[in-house]
Amino acid sequence: MVNFTAKLLGNSVSGMTVQQALLANASNNIANVNTPGYTRREIDVLSRVDPVAIDGILRIGGGVQLGDIRRITNAFLESSLRTIGSKQGKAEVRNEYLGRVENIFSLSGAQQTVGMALNDFFSSVNQVGLNPSDLDLRLSVLQRGEDLVNSIHSAYQELADTQTELDQRLGQEIDSINVLTRDIASLNSTIAQREATGTLAPDERDQRDILLGKLSAKVSFKTLEIPNGMINCYLDNGFPLVSEATARPLTVTTAPSFAPGPLPPSLGGGILSYVTYDYGVAGAPTHLDLTQTLQNGEGSVAGILQLRGYADVNNTSAFEANGELVQMASRIEAMTRNLLTAVNQEYLGPDEDSGTGVHEPSSADLNGNPPGVFGLFDFTFSGAKDADGNGLPSMADLASTGIDSFSRFLKLGFSRADEFAAGRDVNPTAGARMVTAGDGSNAQAIANFRTQSQNFSVGSLSFTGTFDELYNSSVSTVGSLKASAQGEYEVARQSYSVASVKRDEFSSVSLDEEFANVIKFQKAFQASAKMIRTASELIDTIVGLI
Amino acid sequence: MRRVSENQNVRQLVTNTLENKRRLNDLSNQLTTGLKVSKPSDSVDAGSIARYQTLIAKVDSYGVAISQAKSFLEYQDGVVGQATEIIVRAKEIAQQAANETLSAESRAQLAEEVYQLRDQMASLANSSYQGRYVYGGADDDDPPYDKLTYDNPASGPAKDRYSFDGELGTAVGKSFKITDEISVNLNTPANNVFGSSIEGLERLSRALAGYKTLPATSGTPDGTGDAYVFPGEYHVQTADIRGAIDLFNKARDVELIPERVSLGGRLRRLETGQALLELTKSSAKEVLSRLQDADETEVAANLQQAQTALQASYSVTAKVLRMTILDYV
Repeated sequence: MVNFTAKLLGNSVSGMTVQQALLANASNNIANVNTPGYTRREIDVLSRVDPVAIDGILRIGGGVQLGDIRRITNAFLESSLRTIGSKQGKAEVRNEYLGRVENIFSLSGAQQTVGMALNDFFSSVNQVGLNPSDLDLRLSVLQRGEDLVNSIHSAYQELADTQTELDQRLGQEIDSINVLTRDIASLNSTIAQREATGTLAPDERDQRDILLGKLSAKVSFKTLEIPNGMINCYLDNGFPLVSEATARPLTVTTAPSFAPGPLPPSLGGGILSYVTYDYGVAGAPTHLDLTQTLQNGEGSVAGILQLRGYADVNNTSAFEANGELVQMASRIEAMTRNLLTAVNQEYLGPDEDSGTGVHEPSSADLNGNPPGVFGLFDFTFSGAKDADGNGLPSMADLASTGIDSFSRFLKLGFSRADEFAAGRDVNPTAGARMVTAGDGSNAQAIANFRTQSQNFSVGSLSFTGTFDELYNSSVSTVGSLKASAQGEYEVARQSYSVASVKRDEFSSVSLDEEFANVIKFQKAFQASAKMIRTASELIDTIVGLI
Repeated sequence: MRRVSENQNVRQLVTNTLENKRRLNDLSNQLTTGLKVSKPSDSVDAGSIARYQTLIAKVDSYGVAISQAKSFLEYQDGVVGQATEIIVRAKEIAQQAANETLSAESRAQLAEEVYQLRDQMASLANSSYQGRYVYGGADDDDPPYDKLTYDNPASGPAKDRYSFDGELGTAVGKSFKITDEISVNLNTPANNVFGSSIEGLERLSRALAGYKTLPATSGTPDGTGDAYVFPGEYHVQTADIRGAIDLFNKARDVELIPERVSLGGRLRRLETGQALLELTKSSAKEVLSRLQDADETEVAANLQQAQTALQASYSVTAKVLRMTILDYV
């Protein structure tokens, strides 16, 4: 007689064991319901095959056994979450910083903008025409001129400071990228070791997914899982940030080995750093420039670089860099340079003696003194300002000072109300300069300048129009940059939220589901226990026969 | 079947609540500032808004300038009006004096009033507005007519004469912009307004007082000229008086009346300019308001809606999160 009772007992015991294991897994899922990045797990349950057929024909089955533990995850959802995370990282940085700099071009009327200062300055100059020798009207020109200079200073400085701050933040972001890649590499090695024995390392994998998510907020990369369970991370140009158990740390440097000469200045006069990978001789490494790859990618680093700009090592000016802040600063700088050249030139008036080479100003102030070459708007500089010595301010003169950003050094060319040259020579044909106190023709010429179209050109900026038009177009530009950054941010945030919900829907713990399962497993356990009692009753019956 | 996990549930509820709260915050900001656009990114029309703001500020400053220019020109209108009256009176006296039934002595008695008129006319030519000589042109810090003397006589009012200083700056007009395109001239050089009047008054008064004025017929007196010898030169005196009448006619027809017409024209131009600026300003303000100002009724209604939405999300969040399977197992 075949012993089915033993089989009965065996199957029941296997059932109880398996249900306990399932309950234990459910308890782990429930415990981790709020653990960030936790992926719910399921244990595969398999029926156990009878090793031998009873009586040579009957295979009842050997009960139940535990299969593998599985993380309920979807590689596609995870990777799309990372892609969107990168987009969100970039949009967030741009939105934050553009929001700050757009206040320079505020429309609320509550603060002094460059546009308003320009308007007030030209209006005050026009008013001088009413009574050119009136000191109050002249004082107003002096004050409005100071206001204009100050508003240009602060607008430019705000942009330059933001660029410097972004440069520092770039360093911090690269540091955290290095920490993340190092940790990912070390988890790679742990996972490979654990899984070499055939058991899954779910907690380490969860950890690694969290780190990959964090990394994706900073930089965009592609992943490749290799058969031993390790994940390689590649930048968009194929540079491996993490290759199996090795992480490649990035460096931020202001002295890259690929620079042929002195580096171009930044808006504030400093140097923009480069993100590189260092290899070769320790102490004097060779730098591989990754800045542009990172800038063209996604993630907060790309956002920072797009705002801050990348300065080609062969550039000589801060305005040749390609950042959004640089674009805005170029506009302010273009205004400054035209104030220094075109407006100053008008201020000097026509040449008093057109025969000679040096331009003699035909305008003069209340005391009869002619203005200097940079008479209305001047800049702080210790060397020769009129390098060619022709008595006229020009872009070439500015260039030969070696100063890159004049907006930082702009100042008024006169300091007292009576020093404003409102009048022009009333009799240009006579030898001497004859300027009378009540003459306002020079002031009128400057006031007319406001409606004159000019060429503004700095770096990649080229604009033809009046000062007002340049300012207004700057408002449009910054507005549309910020609005698009904000739009991108909103979209990215929404999509990130949707992607997270999708991921949660798939991988996250549902208490409802777990408790339903708990009841199911408990019932199954109770049923298997009941079967043992049934087996015991069978044996009792047999024993009772004896 | 779609799963709903705990995290997902919480995330969605919180995101929606925050979104509603952000909207409420935006709307209450709009309502308190009255502006729906206060930053360039708030609207695609940011560039237009900046343009209209500049335009309005510009119109305001031109408006101030125009009203100052208007009062300056109105003052000049008054001055020229007075000058015309003086010339009318001077011509009456001259016509009376030209009558050859009058003796040289009777003529001399008329001289006194003409001196007064001459000094009055000179002070009109040298009148000042806000501390500046109106007819001084660009040279407005010293009077356009200088007080000089004749060689003969050496004393009394007949020795005084007024001469246009002819400095370079006096001929330069003051002008300034009343709009981006239009500039208005604010003054005329003194000799173009008062030249014949002062010369005529001077010749008349001297002639009546018994002195010749050289050069005899035309041109600016050079400060020389002896006394008439009566009775032989009585008819010369009469001719000089008649010469003065011609000058008064010239002063009225060629100088004062055209100046008054021109002042009137300039004042009208200022008024037109002002009206035009007002028009520009009000239309710019209207457009700006449409672009930048929040519609308070609309915002208030939206605010109410946002408030309701936020309350709803609070109540849903609280209710949903309170529900758990644990209450049933």
